[in-house]
Amino acid sequence: MRSVQIPLVAAAAALVLVGCGTTSDRTGGSPSDGASKSCQGADGKYTIGMSQANVAEPYRQRMDDDIRAAAKEVPQFDVKFADAAQDNAKQVADVDNYITQQIDLLIISPNEAKPLTAVVQKAFDKGIPVIVLDRKVEGDAYTGFIGGDNVQIGSEAGKYVAEKLLPNGGSIVELKGLAGATPQAERHQGFIDAIKVNPKIKIIADASGDWLREKGQAQMDALLKANPKIDVVYAHNDPMAEGAYLAAKAVGREKEMKFIGIDALPIPSGGIKAVEQGRLSATFTYPTNGKEAIAAAKKLLVDCGTIDKSQILPTRLIDKENAAKIYAEENPTG
Amino acid sequence: MTEKPSVVATLFRFQSVFGLLAVFVAAIIFSPRKNGAILFVSADNLANVVRAVSEIGIIAVGMTFVILIGGIDLSVGAVLGLAAVGSAVLMVENDWGFLPSVLLVLVTGTIFGALQGVATAMIGIQSFIVTLAGLQIARGLARIWSGGQGVAISYGDGPKEAPTSFALLGERTFGGLVPIPVLIFAVVAIAAVVFLRVSAFSRHLYAVGGNEKAARLSGVPVVRVKIAVFAICGLLASLAGIVHAVQLNQGSPNDGIGYELDAIAAVVIGGTSLAGGRGSVAGTVAGALLLGVLNNILALNNIDSNIQLLIKGLVIVAAAALQRLRPAS
Amino acid sequence: MRQDAALVRMERIGKRYGGVQACRAVDFTLGAGEVHALLGENGAGKSTLMKILSGDVTDFDGQIEIDGTPVSFGGPTDAQAAGIAMIHQELDLVPGLSVADNIFLGRELRTPLRTVDRRRMDREARALLERSGVRIDPRRPVGDLRVGEQQLVTIAKAISLDARVLIMDEPTSALTTTEVERLFEVIRELRRAGVGIVYISHRMEEIAQVADRATVLRNGEIVTSFDPRKLSTAEVVEAMVGRPVQTMFTTPDTDTGDELLRVDDLKLTARRPRPGRRDPDGISLTVRAGEIVGLAGLLGAGRTELLETLYGVAPTGTRSGRILLQGKEIRPRSPRQALAQGIGLVPEDRRASGLVLFHSILANTVLSSLPAYGRLGVIARRLERGASVKMADRLRLKFGRLQDEVGTLSGGNQQKVVFGRMLLTEPKLLLLDEPTRGVDVGAKAEIYRLLGELAGQGLGVLLASSELPELIGVCDRVVVLRDGRDVASFSTADSGEGDLLAAAMGEAAVIGDVL
Repeated sequence: MRSVQIPLVAAAAALVLVGCGTTSDRTGGSPSDGASKSCQGADGKYTIGMSQANVAEPYRQRMDDDIRAAAKEVPQFDVKFADAAQDNAKQVADVDNYITQQIDLLIISPNEAKPLTAVVQKAFDKGIPVIVLDRKVEGDAYTGFIGGDNVQIGSEAGKYVAEKLLPNGGSIVELKGLAGATPQAERHQGFIDAIKVNPKIKIIADASGDWLREKGQAQMDALLKANPKIDVVYAHNDPMAEGAYLAAKAVGREKEMKFIGIDALPIPSGGIKAVEQGRLSATFTYPTNGKEAIAAAKKLLVDCGTIDKSQILPTRLIDKENAAKIYAEENPTG
Repeated sequence: MTEKPSVVATLFRFQSVFGLLAVFVAAIIFSPRKNGAILFVSADNLANVVRAVSEIGIIAVGMTFVILIGGIDLSVGAVLGLAAVGSAVLMVENDWGFLPSVLLVLVTGTIFGALQGVATAMIGIQSFIVTLAGLQIARGLARIWSGGQGVAISYGDGPKEAPTSFALLGERTFGGLVPIPVLIFAVVAIAAVVFLRVSAFSRHLYAVGGNEKAARLSGVPVVRVKIAVFAICGLLASLAGIVHAVQLNQGSPNDGIGYELDAIAAVVIGGTSLAGGRGSVAGTVAGALLLGVLNNILALNNIDSNIQLLIKGLVIVAAAALQRLRPAS
Repeated sequence: MRQDAALVRMERIGKRYGGVQACRAVDFTLGAGEVHALLGENGAGKSTLMKILSGDVTDFDGQIEIDGTPVSFGGPTDAQAAGIAMIHQELDLVPGLSVADNIFLGRELRTPLRTVDRRRMDREARALLERSGVRIDPRRPVGDLRVGEQQLVTIAKAISLDARVLIMDEPTSALTTTEVERLFEVIRELRRAGVGIVYISHRMEEIAQVADRATVLRNGEIVTSFDPRKLSTAEVVEAMVGRPVQTMFTTPDTDTGDELLRVDDLKLTARRPRPGRRDPDGISLTVRAGEIVGLAGLLGAGRTELLETLYGVAPTGTRSGRILLQGKEIRPRSPRQALAQGIGLVPEDRRASGLVLFHSILANTVLSSLPAYGRLGVIARRLERGASVKMADRLRLKFGRLQDEVGTLSGGNQQKVVFGRMLLTEPKLLLLDEPTRGVDVGAKAEIYRLLGELAGQGLGVLLASSELPELIGVCDRVVVLRDGRDVASFSTADSGEGDLLAAAMGEAAVIGDVL
């Protein structure tokens, strides 16, 4: 009576494993030329599904906003948005639902590569053109990828530190993104490769701020206590850099060191404003690709053209000199 | 004394089933159509709906057991993550076979649950606290086991590849119509329903949840019941983790974050009382399906994701409110 | 003619719950300084009538006047504002709060700084408790108190409200005789102060002692009103149940058999002693097969604790002395073990520790004997149904369907379900803790009949009770406990309530005062 239930369920599970003949819906299939099938020219009406990994991140909210704004300029486009709230399974369901709705084009910013690969392939195999943003999926069952190059961004940041901030060497602390995330590894790698030119530049400490402002602040509190001399704080994104600035300011040491971040979102709480207002020395744009995604969709659906399989957008250095100007360009309303 | 239960009482008893029917009908009415076809009722979409809730459903069945004894298990999402990581690491990195991997993962989940049961039943810590700690511990173990990163699963016979027999779990059967995760969910649900109907253990379980003191004085082995229930819940959570890994071809320590709350929601919508002693697995299954249909129809209509959250919250409150209106005995 | 002196006048009160007419055109009056007893079996409508008066039930027919002015209560708060306070049978106390906090719940005393004035609350609570005749530390959590002590706290709380109308629903059900006496003194004092008291009780002798007038309800209607000093108990019981009841106590003088239970100098030292608990401190007694042995003693004498120790639910600690069942030493460590050895317990508080109220009669009845109805942990519904139908029959259980929630039964029938559950385990020894508390007269008589029958079949019974007439009437022998020790043993054939009481209170007490 007490223990029958465990074998019962295990047996049930085993039954399922053994007993069923299966058919696969995951077979590869040659990548069809999605563009030519969907294109109805300028007279067509197109429903585009945008599957976002997590709009709770300001960067991804900005991506959705950019897509929305760019799509407004294309009268044939009607863009739907779904948010997976950082859950791979939810994002798979979101894409499944887009397939059910028979959308004309899928834009996806995947939460993670491997778990989304199968469902993206499923859409692609059904003849839906797929534009992948920011993070890749595996294989080549998609129409085009648009993203930034995090290694290059890290490298630009490293160069800036080596040439502008610490030409005579100095001590750096690094606030990293969420452990295990690819951008975190890449932004780190590019950076340390670039600062190698000057052996007197040393990373004396690092900590993981999980991309979060408050976490960056807390980690910096500890780093400040442990390290009497810090020249530069390199944070993997702007919110953590801002958090570090606050921590330093709280102990009156914010003038002793420089802060640099990444992302440079053109929003009031973003990195460009922080540079303009002097809290950060520099930040590097990480393109949201929203505008470019809609441009690519237009090319495929309205112009019946083709797009590059991979489009890497360059980063830009934002410093005190160009911050105000670029903010005005990128965000004319605010 | 009335001889037959009133219509109202019956309605309340099967509240979640009627709720599911109502939401299902609403989904058909509000479903987008394309070329005359109702998109919601397409075979593919219905399969998607159930597949999407299969993991939550399996967890929710275990959660129902725990809630029936007046406990709560907050660790199920983390145990799911631990099991997903375990499946991936064992089969991909350690090149274990399919059966040993799955067995070890299930045993791990069962032991994890049983230990939580021991902590709450023998030491007397409230299950909320025990499993809150269990959540952290399971996440920590998953991070350690995986090295902090998602472990991608690819299939084949080579080294660092999972056996293709594992991949079958993510496929479809019965002419490509029924996803196997759905089948697993169905088998678990039916087994649980039958188990709760016929077993002496289930009487003990309901009694412990209804009045623990009375149950103990009646000779019910309260401690054993509690440990077994938490073990079952851990077992089912780890089964869901295996299903999760195969569906996403990855085991990540971040898998299943927040799933415990979805499972609790399914149980509550299913009419099981958080106070314990009252409720059913059938209700929970209906509750899980209701949430799945709701998610699907909101998504098919491209309702803004923030608004979706509001609607789901209101549905949970409405379900709970309906229970309050249940005719008093 | 209209009587102007009436403090409360309820006219043509009617209330229906679904198919049950709980009250039907009931007229009820209460004068200032009057103690008006309300009698009737469970389900006769007493509680409903009083819930209407205390504002718990607001949708009813008829009207209520206070001092000749019609009133309409939106809830208990309105009734309290009108000076009506009710002491519920289900003690509505918050277990986690202290005695003082409970007494002043919702109207906490404040310091000039508006913070809670604990010192003053404790002081006033102590005074109130002493007025009701108990010494309880007002800082103790109510959950640690025994049921009887909790009852006294609710009484103190009601008195502290300075109510003009006090409704007492079975106030003495868990009190010892001395405590009952002190409570009556308080009642007399309140009466002199002009408070009107509605006194609900099943105990005839109390009513004769304290009430000015008595009204009997049956099936929601008033059957008779009388002067309680003038009617005999038999007549009143007949009015309540609607048929003559020959005798309450039907103890057949069965031959007792071999020694079933022997307790030798049993002592328990709890590892973590709980305040208010009196664990066995050297108890010796025996129960023979077919014998009903009573356990008498004041509140806190250790009766419940002894039964708990025998049943394996006492707190962990070191035990000395021996427990022998049929000559074999046993060390019960859990109810499961005790049941397996043939010991059953009907606990003191059936709602809190006897039943799962919202589960079915069936599920509650078979809970302890499930393995008997199936194999490999699978239950055969036919078998368990058959067993519970037979048991219900044997206990003369009044019920609709076995699927009905046990909470829908009357108190007496609920108690029978607990009995039935234990009997289905086929025990050799039955431990009973206040088995007739809150049970109406009819059901009481049936429980006594059952006890006699069980003893006739060779079962041994150990019966703890605060009701001396019950002990004398039902038991063959009574063992008196005091401070966790057995101090005396009487054969009921040649001793009376006075002997028991004297032994329970100890030599120092003045016996003549009490009865």
